[in-house]
Amino acid sequence: MTVASIHTKILIAVSALSCVISLSQVHAQQSITVEYSNGQFRPGELPAPADQPLALHVKNRDPKAMEFESKSLRVEKVVAAKSEGLINIRPLKPGRYEFYDDFNAKARGVLNVR
Amino acid sequence: MSGRQSLRHGLAPLLAAIMTGISCGLAYADDPASWHDIETKYIFGFTTGSGIGLEGEKEFTVESIGRFGKRDGRYRASETKYEFEFTPSQFVQIEFGALGSTHDIAGVSGLEDRRQLALSGAFAEFRYLALERTSNNPLAITLAFEPTMRRIDETSGERVRNFELETTINADLELLKNLLFAGFNLLYEPEITNTLTDETLRESKFGGSAALSLRIASNVVIGGEAWYLRHYDSAAFSNFTGDSVMIGPTLYVRFTPKIFMTAAWNTQVFGREVGTPVSLNLAEFQRNRAKLKLVVEF
Repeated sequence: MTVASIHTKILIAVSALSCVISLSQVHAQQSITVEYSNGQFRPGELPAPADQPLALHVKNRDPKAMEFESKSLRVEKVVAAKSEGLINIRPLKPGRYEFYDDFNAKARGVLNVR
Repeated sequence: MSGRQSLRHGLAPLLAAIMTGISCGLAYADDPASWHDIETKYIFGFTTGSGIGLEGEKEFTVESIGRFGKRDGRYRASETKYEFEFTPSQFVQIEFGALGSTHDIAGVSGLEDRRQLALSGAFAEFRYLALERTSNNPLAITLAFEPTMRRIDETSGERVRNFELETTINADLELLKNLLFAGFNLLYEPEITNTLTDETLRESKFGGSAALSLRIASNVVIGGEAWYLRHYDSAAFSNFTGDSVMIGPTLYVRFTPKIFMTAAWNTQVFGREVGTPVSLNLAEFQRNRAKLKLVVEF
């Protein structure tokens, strides 16, 4: 195999990879927001579109920190008191994804993906 | 020390862990409807579930596996992983760490007597979630690759240069929402060893497991598992030397939201060594094995 043919193969592989990356970015990120106040998520059930990457904004209105956590979404983030956190979520299949505050077992909500 | 005494020594820490776990479990018992989803990676004992953690999560883990009992004499060995785990994306988990080993061997045919404690090697593990569970799909599958280098032989405790590549498929099925889970592993583990006498040995293990785990409290899961393993004196599936079936109970306890443990005990109930009429395979496998793992997330 010549050096030129190796270069050609590398070029084809890089082009193919670029196509795959471009295709994976076709769907724009959908922004959704959930508020946390008085130890509860509002709304408790959050609608979201399927098969689109999500930017989930968590606004903590309480005077103490909370930890947004979800085993099914596979994310966790500590949000300081009176501040906002951003969590990027992969494109999801339709279904119900539970989330909760890891610092407050009673605070829970659901992302309803359709 | 007799085999039975050796067994009692091995069982003592495991039983202590189980009793502590059950006490904590009873203290935390509550309404199943209020339980959060559970991470399945650790709930099946020696069988590994599909879980890969949460993006951004980090863990420090100490995992000890003890192996007890050969055909004759006294055999007690352990290998401990001091492990750092992290999850850089919602599909990948990476682990790495150091290995420590202990060997207490006396009067075992084919092995030199030895009492030693050693830093025995290093490992890394790469886990990729190939199929994720959703509320509409109860099955999840993860592919895992674990290259390991050892300077101490796992079985004999001798100085060697060993390279092993454990490749597994970890699958689990949620049979009852948040309550009952089935776990399955498929294992292929080729390895190559250079001894001090410059001999090169190739061998491999192939097999699988099935496990069933029931969540009896929000933070406690109990269950049982069965393993079937085959051993070959080659990297591929030639030169079959024997097989074994091991079964035993499993326990998982979450002490706090960030600290938990898993424990398991397996006993060999069936085994064959090619070319010998004896029951059980105690040449390549052990009579009993125990696992105790403590995890701290941060």
